[in-house]
Amino acid sequence: MNNLSQTATKSDITLVVNGKTVTVRAFAMERLLDVLRTQIGLTGTKEGCGEGECGSCSVLMDGTLVNSCLIPVLQASGTHITTIEGLATDKRLHALQQAFLDFGGAQCGICTPGMILAAVHLLSQNPQPTSADIREGLSGNLCRCTGYMQIFEAVAGAARRCGQ
Amino acid sequence: MSNDRIVGKSVPRLEGRDKVTGASRYVDDVELPGMIYGATIRSRIARGKIKSINFLPIVNWDEFVVVSAKDIPGKNCIALIGEDQPCLAEELINHPEEPILLLAHPDRTLLAKAVEAVSIEYDPLPPIFTIEDSEKLSEIVWGTDNIFKSYLIQKGDVESTFKNADYIVEAEYTTGAQEQLYIENNGMIASFDPQQGITVWGSLQCPYYVHKALMELCGLPEDRVRVVQMETGGAFGGKEEYPSMLAAHATLLAIKSGKPVKIVYDRMEDMAATTKRHPSRTRHRTAVSKEGKILGGEIEFTIDGGAYKTLTPVVLSRGALHAGGPYYWPSVRVRAKSVATNAPPHGAFRGFGAPQSLFAMERHMDFIAQTLGISPIEVRRRNFLKPGQTTTTEQVIQEQIDLGKLLDRAVELADYRAKKEHFAKESLSANKKKGIGIAAFLHGAGFTGSGERYLNSLVGVETCPDGSVRVLVSSTEFGQGTKTVLCQIAAEALGVRYEDVGIAQPDTQKVPNSGPTVASRTIMVVGKLVHSAALAILQTLRSAALLAEVYSPEEFRAACREHVAQNGVFRSLARYQQADDISWDEENYRGAAYAAFAWAVYVAEVTVDLTSYSVTVDDFVCLQEVGRVLHPVLAAGQIIGGVAQGIGFALYERVIWDKGRMKNGQMTNYIMPTSADIPPIRVFFEELGNIHGAFGAKGIGELPMDGPAPAIVNAVVDALGVSFNSVPLLPEDIFEALTANGSHETMPALANSKQ
Amino acid sequence: MRSHPADYELLTPNNLPSVLSLLAQEPGAWLPIAGGTDLMVQYAAGHLAARKLVSIWNLPELRRIEILPGEIRVGAACTYTDLIENDVVNLEFPLLTSAARWTGGVANQNRGTLGGNIVNASPAADSLPALLVYGAELILVSVRGERRVPYEHFHTGYRKTQCAADEVIQFICLPRQFSDYRAYTRKIGARNAQAISKVCLAALGRVAGGVIEDICMAVGSVAPVPFRLAETEKVLRGKRIDPALILLATKTVAREIQPIDDIRSSARYRRAVTANLVAEFLKGFSEGGSKKSSMLARWNSLPLAEAALEILPCCGSNSWARQMAALRPIEDEDTLLAASDKIWRSLTESDWMEAFAHHPRIGHSATPSTAPARSAQWSSEEQQKVAAAGDNVLAELAEGNRAYEERFSRIFIVCAAGNSAQTILDILRRRLRNDKQTELQESAEQQRQITSLRLKKWNSE
Repeated sequence: MNNLSQTATKSDITLVVNGKTVTVRAFAMERLLDVLRTQIGLTGTKEGCGEGECGSCSVLMDGTLVNSCLIPVLQASGTHITTIEGLATDKRLHALQQAFLDFGGAQCGICTPGMILAAVHLLSQNPQPTSADIREGLSGNLCRCTGYMQIFEAVAGAARRCGQ
Repeated sequence: MSNDRIVGKSVPRLEGRDKVTGASRYVDDVELPGMIYGATIRSRIARGKIKSINFLPIVNWDEFVVVSAKDIPGKNCIALIGEDQPCLAEELINHPEEPILLLAHPDRTLLAKAVEAVSIEYDPLPPIFTIEDSEKLSEIVWGTDNIFKSYLIQKGDVESTFKNADYIVEAEYTTGAQEQLYIENNGMIASFDPQQGITVWGSLQCPYYVHKALMELCGLPEDRVRVVQMETGGAFGGKEEYPSMLAAHATLLAIKSGKPVKIVYDRMEDMAATTKRHPSRTRHRTAVSKEGKILGGEIEFTIDGGAYKTLTPVVLSRGALHAGGPYYWPSVRVRAKSVATNAPPHGAFRGFGAPQSLFAMERHMDFIAQTLGISPIEVRRRNFLKPGQTTTTEQVIQEQIDLGKLLDRAVELADYRAKKEHFAKESLSANKKKGIGIAAFLHGAGFTGSGERYLNSLVGVETCPDGSVRVLVSSTEFGQGTKTVLCQIAAEALGVRYEDVGIAQPDTQKVPNSGPTVASRTIMVVGKLVHSAALAILQTLRSAALLAEVYSPEEFRAACREHVAQNGVFRSLARYQQADDISWDEENYRGAAYAAFAWAVYVAEVTVDLTSYSVTVDDFVCLQEVGRVLHPVLAAGQIIGGVAQGIGFALYERVIWDKGRMKNGQMTNYIMPTSADIPPIRVFFEELGNIHGAFGAKGIGELPMDGPAPAIVNAVVDALGVSFNSVPLLPEDIFEALTANGSHETMPALANSKQ
Repeated sequence: MRSHPADYELLTPNNLPSVLSLLAQEPGAWLPIAGGTDLMVQYAAGHLAARKLVSIWNLPELRRIEILPGEIRVGAACTYTDLIENDVVNLEFPLLTSAARWTGGVANQNRGTLGGNIVNASPAADSLPALLVYGAELILVSVRGERRVPYEHFHTGYRKTQCAADEVIQFICLPRQFSDYRAYTRKIGARNAQAISKVCLAALGRVAGGVIEDICMAVGSVAPVPFRLAETEKVLRGKRIDPALILLATKTVAREIQPIDDIRSSARYRRAVTANLVAEFLKGFSEGGSKKSSMLARWNSLPLAEAALEILPCCGSNSWARQMAALRPIEDEDTLLAASDKIWRSLTESDWMEAFAHHPRIGHSATPSTAPARSAQWSSEEQQKVAAAGDNVLAELAEGNRAYEERFSRIFIVCAAGNSAQTILDILRRRLRNDKQTELQESAEQQRQITSLRLKKWNSE
């Protein structure tokens, strides 16, 4: 920290979040996570580690699971972001949300938004995952409360229900 | 089987919907108008004196609020058991990361830069970092002798048992520090109003602990300090005492700035600066008969408390009280002490001393078995406590627990005998060895001895205008199901639907002090009070002739509405009463230490890969007697979650210390298990009931933390035939043990190949 | 978050030439950033020295895979997921796919790029040993033109590469010449996912008549740079594989690497484990080895569907059979049994039910018509002792079965082998008192035992 810092300027950045087009005024290197939480007011996406290890900040970007703490907001310009708030439609819970409730997949809840989105992503690629697939698909999302078993059951349960 | 309609069923988690939709509001999700952000300047040395503090012109200091110890209105301490821990260091530093100054600024992203721009010079003093160094007394870093607390538990005549023993089995066991690693970092918001006083909102377990600490810090009366718990993203003890420090910091900045202040740690700061599980050393010296019966012994249990007292005496107490395990000791001497070092103070973490002493006890049982040539099953069976016998503190086991049968059932569920035979006969290949290990243990629920009386918990249940009732407790939800189960209990007691009961947010202005949310006491102790308070509402409605003997939930609601309309809200209070059969001698540490014990036998099956020396847990059976399962999904969730943390404690979670500072304070290099690391965890319950607990429940939150580490290490020892007496047990440790003195072929691929 | 966003500039040109001209304008001032999975971690920790960043994320010139007759060209901004999803990469460069699969979790695989892994130049980077053994070449571009360099010497020191300040890697070229090589790679991390490697070995070998015709081995995390084990390769090339050669190779590799003690592991451990991995790779070629059976050898070579069908009667669950078949080749019986246990325990409840449904009632001879004949034969063998019981006991057993089915809606599963009818009856009565969840667990455990026994029988035929 021994040089004078340059001061960048903010710019308008437009992205689609949960189906709604949003324009924010931000520094290019603000993290997508912080923009979602602070400027756009969607606090469902959480910061657990700031280093892409815990997955609490997971969102879907153009349908792909990413860690929003590692994305400069300018790189998200023009993309479609889905956060946990975008899952339930018209007050009806997504099958995974319901399954997490039924099987005990959420305890303290802080990893839950990221975990559910990781599961959404998994099922979108692999609608009938084996338990090995589930373990692998969620291995980037850390949970300290549940020990994972009831999360696996929730994902398997949701997959079964969707398959019927 | 019971006729309960709600208790015993897996009703929906009360706050579950908000959690799965992202609607729950944790501390960092909340912004108050005019709020600014705080950060902490911390010591870079472990011990010494502050020489000078310089503010480098890298940021515009005029924009910052700066707080030092001078700004503290009341006492510069975080009041807990003692008052030795300063809120902000004034001259003396006793551990790395000790807080010295506080900063606040409206731009959160500028804070890190500002923290770097504060340059502090120190005159260092020689620090100490290990139990052994502390015992040497070459440096006194706390009090007069580095000892925070000690206990002595004595039963029978230990000396004569050594004389008559066929065997004396001696060994030392150690456990390392462990980080709670709640996924939500510590955070707090504080605001100050000259008339109202202080209000803090935070991620915390014990609102009234914070309340007390802030009263002392600010010199304010109890009605001018208000503490509110927000949705809390995991705690495990890590938010039992530390939030008081954080609340103190946010409060000082709020007072000085006149604005609301939020402090939220990032992961690196949280790991480096906050509490960890106490490292421990246990020395067993046991007199054993040739049949493998324990005749007596000495147990020396020592824990490292770090630089200040905080909760160390209580951790020590629990560790000492569990040191004898679920076994009958005809005579025993337990010498327990907690020593000071220059590490950041260690603190509460699920299990709270018991995982440490039980690790030693259960490893020692296997060592006794091995020494005598008896099976690990038999040695335990022959020593289990039986109803009518007394514990190490001479507490009589009243309930009809049959630990031998519990053991048999666990052994059967794990297919232990067949597997042990199979593993002994054949190894998987030259490269993999399998083993199976057992741990049998107990966990006392509630505060020790006279602790619950001292807490003097008060619980409320009140009627609401719409006919529902509301539970009022300071007990907090942080994932374990407090809200859900307390409402189940009230609903069952009242004969109403689960949906007819709500629970207030823990707010010291609005709820009575039901004690801290710790010690596996919430359902058992607080739940029972909720039950009593709820029943009193029934009585009240009946006395007012508003409710018949038999009624429907709708009729209850109507009666309740009517009562409120006539009399206003009725708040039924219930206060803890110590049962007559629980008597405890604090001075001699003798008597009924706990109102209830839960009992358990865990079995771990492992594979040791000799190419990488790593251990995989293949199967894990957990069988426990818990009084009564009030909510099957939540109860299983507690066990599984605790086992996962136990697996981390056993095999993965090493804190790497560098001159007292945690060097691996990031999630990338502090290793907790991912979904790919957890074995199938098979959970089984037995229910003997519990007269001291709500609907017969015993506490279970911490129980699962005690078993995994010894079960897993016992399994590794079974696999390799080499002793390991320390956790965490990493592949590097196994490698070193196997290759010591050239005792093992380092290229196992060649080792067993027949030419 | 320990950096101040206002101190950083980030530009996102939408084509490669714009990026290159920017890099050329102010050499050394601009740092390319792709998926950010390394740089943003540094940034959040307050350790990102570069203040000006230019995004090469998703540039079409950099994010594509060209399949040519003699080589494939992987664009540097291809993500690990792009690699995992590419059929040619999977088929012909499996070491790269393996590395991609164990880099971080899915979210990081979706953003991390192969080029980023190279220029970030951590010695622990997951994909670099694979690139070394595949003899990769890099195409670097700048305003000055294009140059193609062998990857082998691209790393010049700890976190240093030959990449000039105005250059960007455009392609990683991999020669399509390894289909007849045996491929081996293994990463040793602190846990099964999301782990920085302590040791990583990637290896290719072509062996004919027991003689090593060609061999390529590369390691990560045991030196300041990932590198080829040239000395060890030399010792092996052209030789006949036998235990003495393997021993010589492990001694050579132990001398050749320079592991250190660091926050993740120790030098001694890394040295020993690297040697173990080399031995494991080499041993895979040799004809010797632990207990094999002709049954397993034959089964290992069947097509997937047939293999699954053949092994199905041991268990009854299709998912189990498929997963077992997918694990082949399975070396020996112990591995077979261990795999079966692991898969069984991780199945879903409906898979378990499917397996249970394959059994006849205990004490009954008729098997459900849905079960394969093999299964029926084994069932009757297992129940021999039960069948020998007196009528009284058999009647009680029938009654017990009925009570069980009423309570649990499925038949009573128990590992009968060797047990008398009375013993089984006692077990049934005890288990009738279980709650549903506990009983499910017990039934599953019994089925696991049955499967184990049947696998052993099958394997010894």
